[in-house]
Amino acid sequence: MLVSLNNIIADIGGGVIFFKQIVWQGLTKPCRLQEITDQTWKVTIQSMSTTAMAGFFVGGISTIQFTMQVKQFGALGYLGGLATSGTIREVGPLLIAFMLSGKVGAYTSAELGTMKVTEQIDAIRCLGANPMQELILPRFLGIISSSFFLLVAGLLMSVLGGLLMGIFFAGINVHEYLRHIPTIVAGGSVLSGLFKCFVFAVVLATICTYKGYSASGGAKGVGKAVVNTAVATMVGIVVADWLTSVIGDSVTMVYLGM
Amino acid sequence: MIEFKSVVKRFGDRTILKGVSFEAKQGEILFILGTSGTGKSVLLKNIVGLLKPTSGEIWIDGEEVSQFTENEYFRIRKKCGMVFQHPALFDSLTVFENVAYGIRKHRPETTEEEIEARVKKCLSLVHLHGIENKKPAEISYGMQKRVSLARTVAVDPTMLLFDEPTTGLDPVTTNAINQLIFDLSRELKTTSLVVSHDMHCALDIADRIMVLDKGEVIEEGTPEDLKNSEQPLVKDFLMEIV
Repeated sequence: MLVSLNNIIADIGGGVIFFKQIVWQGLTKPCRLQEITDQTWKVTIQSMSTTAMAGFFVGGISTIQFTMQVKQFGALGYLGGLATSGTIREVGPLLIAFMLSGKVGAYTSAELGTMKVTEQIDAIRCLGANPMQELILPRFLGIISSSFFLLVAGLLMSVLGGLLMGIFFAGINVHEYLRHIPTIVAGGSVLSGLFKCFVFAVVLATICTYKGYSASGGAKGVGKAVVNTAVATMVGIVVADWLTSVIGDSVTMVYLGM
Repeated sequence: MIEFKSVVKRFGDRTILKGVSFEAKQGEILFILGTSGTGKSVLLKNIVGLLKPTSGEIWIDGEEVSQFTENEYFRIRKKCGMVFQHPALFDSLTVFENVAYGIRKHRPETTEEEIEARVKKCLSLVHLHGIENKKPAEISYGMQKRVSLARTVAVDPTMLLFDEPTTGLDPVTTNAINQLIFDLSRELKTTSLVVSHDMHCALDIADRIMVLDKGEVIEEGTPEDLKNSEQPLVKDFLMEIV
């Protein structure tokens, strides 16, 4: 028990130090813009279809759930606004993070882990390059920037999914569904969603690059790194969600003078 | 010239190198033999700064490098080319780009025409032609090893470090690689350290052989000296080739 707790603390410490190294690398010797755009394109294309599909169904589910609630109060007109607000503030960023975690997080961890155990990273160092600059930083920034593109795509699809459910399940028309979206989805909701999306992407990018880069012990070590990445990113994202919610609520209360 | 003075390397409570001292003279081929897990690869990685010694001194061309930073090691890695146990080629790059990689990083002033000529020359040194546009996955393991060798010599190192260069190869390719190590070392006049457990090859091409056991140097000398050694481990190695 104590040993595993010790390992978890050491792992978190290692991740924080690794994050610091990435930030330092980015500030002192950043990578080329082309490398970041390549990674962003790769990650976005890899995950676009699954994110869009998941967004569509999540939007639909939100609408179904809200329909049951708002019908009781005869407030079906607010259905679109409520479902969209919930998706933008919470479900959207969380969904994108989980999607990226399962697909890009595991892929990045396996790719870097394989490079580590087959001595490709050592070779990069011996050939006069810096692996942090050549490998880690472009992937780290690529995951973060692509998460915003995926968030937008996922949210648009969720609105579409919600709209279709609104029409077929709740029986309201397009105009009625869209009418209260601008009034309920305020700037704060959008900012909150973007902030959460950024924090989740940073957590995910740090964990998957760290786990891959520190893999050792051949194929078994790579497998272990991928499993650890999946577990750590899920836990990390949920903890980050809780933290950002607490911080967000506190900031809102201070802002409103409550 | 490479010199180790009482180098100790520990990982946690495990001591891998226990005060290793030796010298590799300019232009010689030094084989480091030993069974698996005796610290041969760790020794090589200490030379190029992939690992740092716990204590002791490492001298390269008159400079003590053991406390060098990653940036300071850049200069040393330019001089010491390392061929890894795995081919360690970059999967996403072509053979040409793999060989050109080190030139671009170590010698950024090199023009594209010069890089092209250098890559072709290095590939021909390892007897490879017409594979420049192939990806590593499209060529055999033996060819990958030779591309790895070409990539290392492409930056014009004065010292070559080979980490078990023939592991996992068939006997024919093993002989070809061993011959290449000998030819390249003589042609490029490099100091070559070859980590291996192939006594047959060591006796054939080494100028000197050093035997490492449990992190300590137990025997050192010319191939002839080794043949007359009384060390049980050396005798075991010699028995294998009889």
